[in-house]
Amino acid sequence: MNLDWLSSFLIFGLFFVVMMIGLALLLHLQMGLAGIGNFGIVGFWGIGMYAFGVLWVRADWPFGEPWPFLISLAFGTVAAGLAGLLIGWLIADLDADGIVVGTLGFATVVLILATTEKSLTGGAYGMGGLDFPYDVGTIKGNEASWLAIVIVLVGALLFYVARVHRSPYGRLLISLGANAPLAGSLGKPTFGTKLWLFVVGSAGMGLLGAMYGVMVHFLSPLKIGIEITLAAIVGLVLGGRSRVWGAVVGVLLTVGLFDIVIQLYAPLPASLSAQALPVLREVLFGATLIVVLMFRPLGILGRMRRDKLMRRMHGE
Amino acid sequence: MDFITDALVIGLTEHAPLVLAAMGFALLYRLTGLINVAYAETVTLGAYLGMWVNTTFGLNFYLTLLPAGLLAGLVSLATYLAIFRPAKRRNVGPLELIIISFGLSIFLRYGLQFVFGYEVRFFEVPPPDTIRVLGVGVGSFRILAVVSVAVLAVLIYWFIQRSRVGLQIRALASDEELAQVSGIKPLTVTTLIWFIAGVAGGLAGAFYGVGSSVRPWLGWEEFLFILLVVLVGGAKNIRGVIIAGVATGVALAALTLQFGQALYSRLALIIAFMVVLKVRGNPLAEAGKV
Repeated sequence: MNLDWLSSFLIFGLFFVVMMIGLALLLHLQMGLAGIGNFGIVGFWGIGMYAFGVLWVRADWPFGEPWPFLISLAFGTVAAGLAGLLIGWLIADLDADGIVVGTLGFATVVLILATTEKSLTGGAYGMGGLDFPYDVGTIKGNEASWLAIVIVLVGALLFYVARVHRSPYGRLLISLGANAPLAGSLGKPTFGTKLWLFVVGSAGMGLLGAMYGVMVHFLSPLKIGIEITLAAIVGLVLGGRSRVWGAVVGVLLTVGLFDIVIQLYAPLPASLSAQALPVLREVLFGATLIVVLMFRPLGILGRMRRDKLMRRMHGE
Repeated sequence: MDFITDALVIGLTEHAPLVLAAMGFALLYRLTGLINVAYAETVTLGAYLGMWVNTTFGLNFYLTLLPAGLLAGLVSLATYLAIFRPAKRRNVGPLELIIISFGLSIFLRYGLQFVFGYEVRFFEVPPPDTIRVLGVGVGSFRILAVVSVAVLAVLIYWFIQRSRVGLQIRALASDEELAQVSGIKPLTVTTLIWFIAGVAGGLAGAFYGVGSSVRPWLGWEEFLFILLVVLVGGAKNIRGVIIAGVATGVALAALTLQFGQALYSRLALIIAFMVVLKVRGNPLAEAGKV
């Protein structure tokens, strides 16, 4: 296959965009539907990344690939899911303020642990040694196929989210977001549903984090900063946080625009793109959040499209 | 005995700005019920403004406190008038308000780098004299920080609990409509609170800045602890915040001495605060909504 048109930069740009779409989709279930403002996305993402990387690189594996890779990947996912269980249990019955504190605190804890546990994570310097679990011959081929795998995974996630919207489970999540006490008084298990949503969402974020670790080969605390949380939130909010495609549209318009279109195709002087562009990107992301929530709170795509049953009930 | 005095002195002197910043945040939280993430940038801004006045006009550190505090207060007020007041009028929900303040926080944090440059900056001050307190050497700026924080804390406490405007603030926080019926003007009082909170945050930032360095992440690094102190210390009254703030400072210092690594003490305290929040629940749901 001829991959000349696909430069390494483009692969990484696309990979990051797809990654953020995945995170924004998971956040959509939590924030867009169930109304849980998770500000610690990067914590779950990072714990998956580090748990996977540390086990894979540091452990003494008695058998050959691909088993160590698959076991480590599962371990990263489960570790993030368990963290989600803990944090979900902590915050599921708190209001928005408590949720912000709990999730922000968790992301900080992950960042601290990644820095202090030098023997495992390499501390502030970071750790290398991660690579693709296969070899197709060329570096670009490896990267492109990993990108394809992640695209398939995020595509499946998109399909799942669309299914949730049309299912009784989705209606339960929407009712939790709209009025949790009412849903509880109608006999719905509000605490358990939120907890389970948090566990599954966090495990998904952890899996994505582990897959990101494979692509970048090198884990460091710099990679689990607040920018990841910001990118997912701004994409979701801009696109439309209660719509299935909101995450896709929003992330393409924010991260996609900056990391692919401007970085690769805009004729910028090198001095600007090196230092000012990443800063400008964050400034604009912050401003976008303010402007969208003030003037079009539901984002570009707007109001939630309810499923057939709900539309029939409301006579639309 | 040495351990206790060391922890007390270091905790009080090093973390005095935390108490001040938490008091400002608590005022805001109590009155508006809003977790204003951008408060972190009010703190950062105080450090940057102090550094800017200090290095451009060559004022000594004590004189820079005045413009730094006032300017940070004005910026805080401007964010209320430009963003949070219109947002409230549009009936933006509580979660959306938090996201807006998060956006503002990011906007300011990175915007500051365009104004003041990317590199870490420092106050141009003579190296502080070391004074021995209970056998522990402490820099003179830190002594000043403790004294000013104590004075400001007493002032703010007196202002809120004893003065007429303070009474209006508390009335507005507990029942907005009843307060309006009694002739209290919400806009005046709210404006004042945003300004005072900004001044407190800005001064805390200037003290943080002179104690270490001036960097865009300064406020954000302290923000989680400000938040935890206010939520756990209780936004019910200022006294609880002061006690929680002092206790946090001393605990941070003691744990750092114990573990030999500052990050572990932060880790332990974050977990301790989380446990308290979970055990106690969050009884602040009825906080004011201006």
